Amino acid sequence: MTTATTEAPPRPAPTRRRRAREWTAIAFIAPLVIYLLLFYAYPLVANVSMSLHRFDRGTFVNGGAPFVGLDVYGEVVDNPRFWTVVRQTAAFTVASLAFQYLLGLAAAVFFHRGGFRLAAPLRAALLIPWLLPIIVSGTTWQWMMNPDNGILNAAFGVLGLDPVWWLSADNALTSVTIVNIWLGIPFNLVILYSGLQNIPKELYEAAAIDGAGPWQQFRRITLPMLRPVSLIALLLGLVYTLKVVDVIWIMTLGTGTSQTLATWAYGMAFGKGASGVIRYSEASAVGTVLLLVALAFGMLYTAAQRKQEN
Amino acid sequence: MTKRTHWPLAAAAALALSAAAACSNGGTPEPGAEGNAEEGSTTAEIAFWDPYPQHAEGSAWDEHVKSCAPEGSAITRTSAPQTDLFNQLTTAVKEGTAPDVVLLDNPMMPEAVAAGMLATAEQSGIDTAGVDANLLGPGVVDGEAYGVPFGSNALGLYYNADLLAASGVDPASVTDWDSLNAALGQVADGGGKGITFSGVTGEEGVFQFLPWFWGAGADLADPASAEAVAAGQLLSDWIGEGYAPRSAATDNQSAAWDLFLTGEYAFAENGSWFAAAAAEADFEVGVIPIPAKDGGVAPVPTGGEFAVAPIQSEDASDHYANAAAVIACLTEGEAALQTNETLGYLSAKADVRAEQVAANPLWEPWVAAVEGAQGRTTDLGSDYVGVSASLSEAITASLNAEGDPAAVETAFQDAGGF
Repeated sequence: MTTATTEAPPRPAPTRRRRAREWTAIAFIAPLVIYLLLFYAYPLVANVSMSLHRFDRGTFVNGGAPFVGLDVYGEVVDNPRFWTVVRQTAAFTVASLAFQYLLGLAAAVFFHRGGFRLAAPLRAALLIPWLLPIIVSGTTWQWMMNPDNGILNAAFGVLGLDPVWWLSADNALTSVTIVNIWLGIPFNLVILYSGLQNIPKELYEAAAIDGAGPWQQFRRITLPMLRPVSLIALLLGLVYTLKVVDVIWIMTLGTGTSQTLATWAYGMAFGKGASGVIRYSEASAVGTVLLLVALAFGMLYTAAQRKQEN
Repeated sequence: MTKRTHWPLAAAAALALSAAAACSNGGTPEPGAEGNAEEGSTTAEIAFWDPYPQHAEGSAWDEHVKSCAPEGSAITRTSAPQTDLFNQLTTAVKEGTAPDVVLLDNPMMPEAVAAGMLATAEQSGIDTAGVDANLLGPGVVDGEAYGVPFGSNALGLYYNADLLAASGVDPASVTDWDSLNAALGQVADGGGKGITFSGVTGEEGVFQFLPWFWGAGADLADPASAEAVAAGQLLSDWIGEGYAPRSAATDNQSAAWDLFLTGEYAFAENGSWFAAAAAEADFEVGVIPIPAKDGGVAPVPTGGEFAVAPIQSEDASDHYANAAAVIACLTEGEAALQTNETLGYLSAKADVRAEQVAANPLWEPWVAAVEGAQGRTTDLGSDYVGVSASLSEAITASLNAEGDPAAVETAFQDAGGF
């Protein structure tokens, strides 16, 4: 190699070599870029495009959907159902996130403290919701919440409580939220548990010497040290929760109060649920709204993270 | 710090995306409406789609379909649930990769025709002669027939003869809503349960609701009429009185049937496709027509699928020749009876139906229901889907009202929109 370079005649080699290196770089990056364009950019563009044209089954098949600008967005927002669905989505998301996080944190702290002999099997058991296919857990919950002879109402009966119509129009939101919280606890548990393991033991020892009690240790060491992990757990949880369709759909088909932006868009896009009318454009518009919300929170997260780094 | 440099880039990308979005205009070429079965010849591979995933590969239905392949051809059969099948067909027609034959649920016919997805019966060599007019109705748009229904199913009121006898109820006494309610009350007093039905959200629940809706004298053109509310009130009261399970609001027809099979319920509104299963229940099962509000038999909606040929953009004539051959085999001659018996349907042709009844007395109580059935889309065409959506919302809300008249009325008046 060295002999080759020394023997090389003086020539404008650097530029050519640089160009070759640039090409290599492009070749390396091309698969990723093509993949991103094909599977991320194109669907996104198609989605936005669909929401700006008025599509129905006929124009979807034969083309010729007229461009209507933001008309479809206007119709979706003006629909009296829109704000109800937004409120329901917000309630579902906030309640799910808060309880998933708190219960996940409680479990993580409990297991991290150690000294409990059944910790390992119990932790494995807590992971079950994560491992089960949603179709299985959703159907099982629906069966347990059966208003006539479900096991939950049977348990209520033993306790002397009145049976509840879990999946009625009014109670549907609460019921699917309970199930979604159950589904989300393992994720929070695992992330927060690994966060706890990264907190140096010395901090607690030093705090104990300074006379800090368990509560003070938790508040002044555990919580602040968990902040980065908590942020990511909450952000990912938010994105997951916003787009939840499966568990709600399996349990209620998005009826009553359990309709969220995601289930609404799904039902309209495929002509499922109460209405068999296919509404490609409206569904795309709602999808875009969801996307923007997720994006906004993603930016919020980046901003928070940057502030922390500085 | 380096992260900050990404922002202009991201903004530029977003701009490019939205610009591209504004320009791209669903400019797909229109699939041709050309071609005629008579000018084509059958090909080696024939694609056949149906909405019966429950009939797996190797089942009687699967083999029956495949035996209908013309000489030198092989049929590839694909199944998906109704709505998914329709959506897949939509995409396939758009891409020019539609199958040769599709069995499409009858209320979807007008929308499929309006979207330009189906070849006419004439074009695809499908013979509609001898088919009952009420069953053919959903597939006729502007006087032009698209596809052919091979058979039909209908709804009736099954009853648990043992339980009714124990409660002292004569099923023959159930001739209108009052006598039905009286029978339900009598069964409940004896400790039994009343009736199961499917009130699930979507077309399936609406299908089950229509006999009560039409039986009350309501019209699909006015889904919020007083008659419609009366029908909603009837079902709502059943939940309120505890005659029907609350789960009716989420039960599909199979779930409702399973509840009836427990033997705890006196009645079940369900379809003729369970007639064979009913004969094998642990108790004696009978069936009566669904009563109209003030007596007489309520019209039930026609159930069942149409055999259709989707529009093809390439080699259309050959595809239509395939469709003509396969559909003729399934709906004409000896195989026509086999088609219906395998699916548990009654034929759409009177002569084949008579053969079925002669061979199997199980069918006898269903003939009148099929012959008196109304097409859901016959009056409204493709507007039916929207009306059905309103009705579905109204049904869900009515069942949730548990008998509260004010809530039932609001349910019907507020329904609609998207």
